[in-house]
Amino acid sequence: MDHLRVEQLLPLTPVAFEILLALADGEQHGYRIMQDVNARAGGAVALHAGTLYRALARLLEQALIEELDERPTGRDDERRRYYRLTARGRAVAIAEASRLATQLATARARRLVEVTP
Amino acid sequence: MSRRGPVAGALLAIALLAYPRAFRARFGAEMRADFHTARGQSLGQVLAMHVANGLAERGAAMRRWPLWPNRQPHLYEPRGRRAMFWENLRSDIGHALALAWRRPLVTALAVLALALGIGANSAIFTVVNGVLLQPLPYGSASDLVMIWSSNVREQKPVNVVSPANFLDYRTGVEDLVDMEAFASFITSAQLQADEGPEMVLTVNTGLRMFDVLQRQPVLGRAFGPGDENTVVLSHGYWQRRFGGDPGIVGRTLTLDGTPRTVLGVMPGDFVFPYATMLGPDGFTTRTGVDLWSAWIPERDPFANRSGQIVRNVHYLAVVGRLRTGVSARTLDTRLATVAAQLEQAYPASNSGWGTVVVPLHEQAVGPVRPALLLLLAGVGVVLLMSCVNVAGLALAQSVGRSRELAVRSALGAGRARLVRQLLTESVLLALAGAAVALLAVQWGVRALVALAPSTIPRLSEIHPDGTVLGVTLVVAIAAGIGIGLVPALAASRPDLRDALQDGGRGAAGASPMARRLRSTLVIGEVALAVLLSTGAVLLLRSFTSLLAVNPGFTPEGLLTMQVTLPERVTTPAARLAYYDELFERLRAVPGVLAAGGTTRLPLGSTSVSTTIDVEGRPLPDAELPEVQFRRAVDDYFSAMQTPLLQGRTFTREDGPTSPPVAVINEAMAQRLFPGDSAVGRRIRTGPNPSRSPWTTIIGVVGSVRHTGLEQAPAPEMYISHRQGPPVAPFLVVRASGDPAALVETIRAELRRFDRALALFDVKTMLDVRAASVAPRRFVLLLVSAFGLLALVLAAVGVYGVMALVVGERTREMGVRLALGAEPRAVMRMVLGQATRLAAAGVALGLFAAFVLTPLLDSQLFGVRPYDPITFGTVPLLLILVAAAAAYAPARRAMQTDPMQAIRYQ
Repeated sequence: MDHLRVEQLLPLTPVAFEILLALADGEQHGYRIMQDVNARAGGAVALHAGTLYRALARLLEQALIEELDERPTGRDDERRRYYRLTARGRAVAIAEASRLATQLATARARRLVEVTP
Repeated sequence: MSRRGPVAGALLAIALLAYPRAFRARFGAEMRADFHTARGQSLGQVLAMHVANGLAERGAAMRRWPLWPNRQPHLYEPRGRRAMFWENLRSDIGHALALAWRRPLVTALAVLALALGIGANSAIFTVVNGVLLQPLPYGSASDLVMIWSSNVREQKPVNVVSPANFLDYRTGVEDLVDMEAFASFITSAQLQADEGPEMVLTVNTGLRMFDVLQRQPVLGRAFGPGDENTVVLSHGYWQRRFGGDPGIVGRTLTLDGTPRTVLGVMPGDFVFPYATMLGPDGFTTRTGVDLWSAWIPERDPFANRSGQIVRNVHYLAVVGRLRTGVSARTLDTRLATVAAQLEQAYPASNSGWGTVVVPLHEQAVGPVRPALLLLLAGVGVVLLMSCVNVAGLALAQSVGRSRELAVRSALGAGRARLVRQLLTESVLLALAGAAVALLAVQWGVRALVALAPSTIPRLSEIHPDGTVLGVTLVVAIAAGIGIGLVPALAASRPDLRDALQDGGRGAAGASPMARRLRSTLVIGEVALAVLLSTGAVLLLRSFTSLLAVNPGFTPEGLLTMQVTLPERVTTPAARLAYYDELFERLRAVPGVLAAGGTTRLPLGSTSVSTTIDVEGRPLPDAELPEVQFRRAVDDYFSAMQTPLLQGRTFTREDGPTSPPVAVINEAMAQRLFPGDSAVGRRIRTGPNPSRSPWTTIIGVVGSVRHTGLEQAPAPEMYISHRQGPPVAPFLVVRASGDPAALVETIRAELRRFDRALALFDVKTMLDVRAASVAPRRFVLLLVSAFGLLALVLAAVGVYGVMALVVGERTREMGVRLALGAEPRAVMRMVLGQATRLAAAGVALGLFAAFVLTPLLDSQLFGVRPYDPITFGTVPLLLILVAAAAAYAPARRAMQTDPMQAIRYQ
């Protein structure tokens, strides 16, 4: 599955990065991911179910996330499937974050963003 | 936090239909669960977003449809697309094989039809590949060109070159690595062997020719500087005559009385020259030479007269090798400058003479290109027709299979999946056809080569190779896809409910789409058959009008042969006496009406010409008219039955000591003495006419077509053998009965007369004529075969469809009959439908033929591309064939038992 090098997947689409961020703390099911993303968007509705699952499909395909074989016990209903980051997904998320950090640093240096200590 | 109700659920279910089926299967449950727990979004917004996302995903999935295996894992299939592709393919192939096994007859028919179409294509393509596409057997053959002289004023756009001009061309241009000449005719020479004299075919070849061609001998060496009186043997002759003896190099062969040293043996694949390289007059039916004789202009008595290389006698063919980066066009321009300088320097011999450069490949195979491409087009149409037929078959089957396809569809196979399955089936069929075809292609090619006239160059170089294999596979796959698309289109939109409710009785009949496709196929098939038949009939009419051409003599009842007088008969007087006795013996053979001879046999040998000077019309040397030149031996004109039009022919009194006389043909009389009597006029001949004696014209005979039946007769003059007896004439013997029956008698008689007389090439004149039209016959034969095949295929197509139609309409026919319709009316109805389909096809085919027959022009003779007879009869023929093919189904319709038909279903 390592047919694409990590750098080749960059930059990630905003939705894909948001999903990876949502899964950074551990496995989640689709609805939780959506809630997490939307919560971080500050209440504004950012992610729709259709958009989410299409993005999930791409991430599964790229092996950045995987589906858990068994459900974490005692949670939610039968229809829920849980996803978690793969090692590769984590690497891609880190690479994307540092790419964005570099960009942000540049933006600061050029005074596009207010410098906060 | 309101859970959404059942109405919203139903609306969601509808919205989710926007997603691809597989996506729905994988994520549908999650999306439904989310839908019911979600809040904050309005129902309309959620549904609209789902539809938008679903359509977007559908678009993406369509773009990523796995037509080809790749390493990307599949969207919804963790094991990846690659696995899925092969798994699908495996199951499709398995399914197709099972299906084929269940219907062995239909499968065998389809495979056979495709094998026929594909195999014929491969065989013809093998010929095209070997003759037209493969490089000639010379090193870097694409750099080789031929250089000809050209004189537009004398209507000789491409002409052989004179020795002096050749030498000046060679020193005059820098664009060539080298340039070399060879005599533009193949000479038969007499080889003195222990068993007696034997004939060998040789061509006088310049010393650097093998270097220019970049080919070296496999044994010994090629000609080098100063190699006078040497020969190089062809591989075939070395094997045939000397059993491949490696000690042959250095041995001496006595050719025409001159000892020649054998320098080497050329490789087996080396062919030089091809007959087409001998120039416009180099017409020959010989396919190869036995040996090459060293040719040095200074030593050639023909080229070097009184210490000077001649400039006004043209007989050389010239090959040059271009320097890298120089084009034939550039060379053409440079040579034109040289030719212009020569024109100024030698106006007497060179005025009006330019040059023309032809790439060697074009020179060698150009003349047969139109005929071969025509065959390729014809066989392509045949393949198209067999594809249409098999597509019709597949379509008929897919109608019967609509239930199976509907079940598969209901079980979740998408449209793409069904199309792929049908394509897999048809491509498999086509590949099976190709496999059968490839098994037969070697045999087919051998048959083609055997059938092909020897005048087609490079026949010996034709054999199936990797290119042929590749092209066959590509053609097969293309045919398979083409065939599969038709039923796929019709069947991949099965009406599920209808097909399933039909309960498997299988008699539901075709969908309107399938019906339309079926009619289209038949129309297309008839159109293709019209196209091919039109071509075949045009060629047939050309061929018959060609054979109807009067060649200027009576070919029936004529036997021809060539002889070479023994070496001991040296003086002209001795030769005359020899001929007198020879012809006396010949005439005494029972069944012989007349016997004569000539130096140039019409339709069977090369020609030779001379410049002439007409008394009272002084002209510069370069403007002297040129006429064909032959000797008439003994009773030539009466043996040939060439009519005497004016004056008299030769008699015994026109001997060596009497004043020189000549007989000319009608074409020459009209060209030189229009509106005036030629008899009694005087002419002088030869490269330097002023040094020749005056010759009196004593008679005019009918014109003879020498080069070919389609070529108008050229001006021609004959002199009597008594005023110049030849050494190796052709003999012609007029028989009272079948000339072939005389062969053994004459052979025996001549052997009794003189064992040392070499006799060869004994043929009837009809065979000679047949050989001269062999390329046409070859093309005609094949195109006619294609045409017949097309008719059969069209008939099968019409029959198949009408049988289906009748089968489908049995119930309707039954009702009609029960209501009192005349059985004949029912039959007329079926025949009418078939005829209407055929008429549509005929119209389409006529249109195509109208557009395409002008391309045939080069192959036609005595008939125009828009020949009204052809364009009138072919459509009629096709409609008759269609009606005949529909007759059996129509009878069946007429005999329908109303009761049974209605009870059925």
